[in-house]
Amino acid sequence: MNEARKSPPKKMVVELEVNGTRHELLVEPRRTLLEVLREELGLTGAKEGCGLGACGTCTVLMDGRPVRACLTLAVEAQGASILTVEGLADTVADREPGALHPIQEAFVDAHGVQCGFCTPGMILAAKALLDEEPDPDEARIREALGGQVCRCTGYTKIVEAVKLAARRLSGEEVKA
Amino acid sequence: MSRYIGQSLPRRDARLKATGEARFTADLSLPFMLHAAVLRSPYPHARIVRLDTSRAERLPGVKAVLTARDTSGVKWGVFRYTRDQEFLAREKVRYVGEEVAAVAAESEDIAREALELIEVEYEILPAVFDPLSAVADDAPRIHDHAERNINIHVPIHVGDVDRAFDECDYVHTERTVSEEESYFMTEPYAVLAHCDRQGTVEVWMPNASPHTKAKGLANALGLPVSKVHVRHVSVGGAFGGRSDMFPGEYIAARLSQMTQRPVKLVYTREENSIAVRQGHSMVVESTFGFKRDGTLHAVDVTAYMDGGAYSSTGPIATSVPFLCFEQTYRVPNVRYNGYRVYTNKPIRGMIRTHGRAWACNVDMQLDLAAAALGLDPVEIRRRNAVRTGDTTPTQSKIFKMDSLATIKAVAEASRFREKWGKLPKWRGIGIGCVSVMSGFPMGIRGGSAAMVKFDEDAGVTVISGVVDNGQGNENVVLQIAAEALGVAPGAIQLVASDTEVTPIDQGAYSQATTLCSGNAVRLACEDARRQIFEIASDMLEAAEEDLELEDGKVFVRGSPSRAVPLRNVIRMGLLKGKNVIGHGSFGPNVDQTREWIKNPKGQLAAAFSYGSAVVEVEVDPETGFVRVLDAWVAHDCGKAINPKEVEGQMEGGLAMGGHGGILLEACKWHEGANLNPDFLGYKVPLAPDMPPIHPFIVESEDPFGPFGAKEGGLSISMCTAQAYSNAIANAIGTHIREFPHTPDRVLEAIEKRAVTGDP
Repeated sequence: MNEARKSPPKKMVVELEVNGTRHELLVEPRRTLLEVLREELGLTGAKEGCGLGACGTCTVLMDGRPVRACLTLAVEAQGASILTVEGLADTVADREPGALHPIQEAFVDAHGVQCGFCTPGMILAAKALLDEEPDPDEARIREALGGQVCRCTGYTKIVEAVKLAARRLSGEEVKA
Repeated sequence: MSRYIGQSLPRRDARLKATGEARFTADLSLPFMLHAAVLRSPYPHARIVRLDTSRAERLPGVKAVLTARDTSGVKWGVFRYTRDQEFLAREKVRYVGEEVAAVAAESEDIAREALELIEVEYEILPAVFDPLSAVADDAPRIHDHAERNINIHVPIHVGDVDRAFDECDYVHTERTVSEEESYFMTEPYAVLAHCDRQGTVEVWMPNASPHTKAKGLANALGLPVSKVHVRHVSVGGAFGGRSDMFPGEYIAARLSQMTQRPVKLVYTREENSIAVRQGHSMVVESTFGFKRDGTLHAVDVTAYMDGGAYSSTGPIATSVPFLCFEQTYRVPNVRYNGYRVYTNKPIRGMIRTHGRAWACNVDMQLDLAAAALGLDPVEIRRRNAVRTGDTTPTQSKIFKMDSLATIKAVAEASRFREKWGKLPKWRGIGIGCVSVMSGFPMGIRGGSAAMVKFDEDAGVTVISGVVDNGQGNENVVLQIAAEALGVAPGAIQLVASDTEVTPIDQGAYSQATTLCSGNAVRLACEDARRQIFEIASDMLEAAEEDLELEDGKVFVRGSPSRAVPLRNVIRMGLLKGKNVIGHGSFGPNVDQTREWIKNPKGQLAAAFSYGSAVVEVEVDPETGFVRVLDAWVAHDCGKAINPKEVEGQMEGGLAMGGHGGILLEACKWHEGANLNPDFLGYKVPLAPDMPPIHPFIVESEDPFGPFGAKEGGLSISMCTAQAYSNAIANAIGTHIREFPHTPDRVLEAIEKRAVTGDP
């Protein structure tokens, strides 16, 4: 005789806009936004580093604000606009095909990327900061990235990348 | 003139990582993929009396249940004499978290539900949780073969230590202890395995040596190595914690064999902390003897290292802390007894700092001796630093190492001597030094080889076993190939760390990659150049030795107008049946008869790097909180192939070894259960915590390294730990003997100092 499975919970319809595309999804209420992004939509840029909201590798922007996708239920994101790292470059108007967002470019140019596992979350946290404060000082940058764990870089070159991005976004410095 | 060496070019992989395109193992999926989950032991030491999986097998959606009954029983160990771990527990479990059974099912939810249906009856056995208790006569025996639970004993005796202590003017004994560190690489361990119907197994997992994984898996699965293909994948950090074989990859591969479907197993953060590797906790007793002029004359060190339940890299882990010491400070007489002891705790591996209690004990001894002998901390290190031309006690020749330049760089930049003894109350400054080897003898898996091939349009593809855990190894070989071929790195494709295609490589865990993988790629490119010049010499009617290759053109030296595009040379080669394929193979100049336990002498590595660090701190005497004001780090890496990347290694090393290692990081326990396996309970440095870091690169131009390069970065992880510890001691007037120096320990030391006045 087969063991009976626990009955699966009832699914709910969730409408999301992700990287500019509208989705209508049928999800169990216990599913996290991270699971839906990674498993239903194939957007694996947001990572699960801890599942507790402590490491920041799952950071995405929900209506412009950084959230822990591992702690956010998909149903909580009902009607929200989500930006993941995959959609970041598309937020730049009239960009060349293949071109990166200036924050992404700055992380590449300032050597702010080592293993890369924290990079998507780090870049989105930086975007949320620079959208709100275009010219943050170093202490403010470090504070804003304080919820994002990087185990490789010691943060120096990540902070330099954010400063470089701020200069480029303000037009103060042009990429060579 | 170098065009690509010494240039801080952006890393090739950075664009993929900045856009989320880089794929880590958990990001991968295959059609018809199953999901696996592992049942782990809840007890630190217990006999498995009954294991019944029948209810789990009947759960709809479960496709296979794996226990030790379904395995060949092959045991894993890095060395023939350390094979002590089965990938699934057979008769007993030896730590909380050990693998007991695994399930493959249509979803992860079903797999986890099935685990709850597996019935295991345990007979609980007495357990032991620290190395000193474990070596007691009446301690429970964890492995039948290991008396007093001693897993590894590394004895090293050079000179006449007892007589030498009599010849010393200052002799002092110190005892230091440290808890375990956890790697906390940001990517939790995951594995995807696919066994196809020809019996070939493809595997993806974060690793530091695909070829080691392939060999270990092939042994365990009873397959030839050629049937196990460990594929390239992005790796989210290693720090020594991805070095040997783990049960996860065997479990996924075996479940795939059983089901003939792809199987993915993704560890939680907690599983990654407990069931992969941890750093060793240690108890270190040292006696150091100095002559009146500050020269170190004799050392006697005994270290007890908590190895956990199985051997892992045991003989290496027990030796490396000593070896890093003997490469750092000259000492003619040494006695070292390193004991790695089995306990009922998770398995310990190599980690960046190689033992805080060991490394910091050494530099504490130097500072105490300096004070007693009227020297300053910089001077005693300058007098004792190992340098070019020296031979270590265990007979390694130091061919090129500019230790003094690193000490000078940090001492001058920090104005150490001006500040020493003159800082305001509760401020302190400290220095630490360490030398790290670029590789060690690893037998048949000790070197690297590479190939380079050309498309008909002269596009270049390098094929190398090099593996990149995030430190930028792939970019290292790309810049080397670019330099050797006169082609921009952006125009070179790299096929790396795929065991079906790439030749054996030593892996990224002995600091040998730049030296070995880099040299193999350099040699392959030089071989290709020779072939290109042979073909072009007819085309240009010039002698081969007069030809140059640059910017995609072959030309005659001195008359650049006599040139032919590389593309034409490659096509001419194809016409003549001379397809240009460069081959390079490199083995480091080490003594392959050297053995960790039986014969710990002979040339250890072809190159040795040196790092020095100074940090300045301020201690809050009310809270014990340490604020780090500034840090200066200098590293002799031979030649910085990409200076910004070397700086990144130095800064990251300071964060993990110095800041995390001395101020924050420690595993907490209750009866063998790790209480802080998650990011909430285990504190790692965050961006606001970090001090300004001033990096200095010292280039001694190594005679054996590719374009002079050797290990880059690890030295800083260790020497910053020493500098942090010494700076805190300078600030509070006493050394702390327990690591890490958390605020409670800082306060306790301040209070004890007030009572006893001990330094």
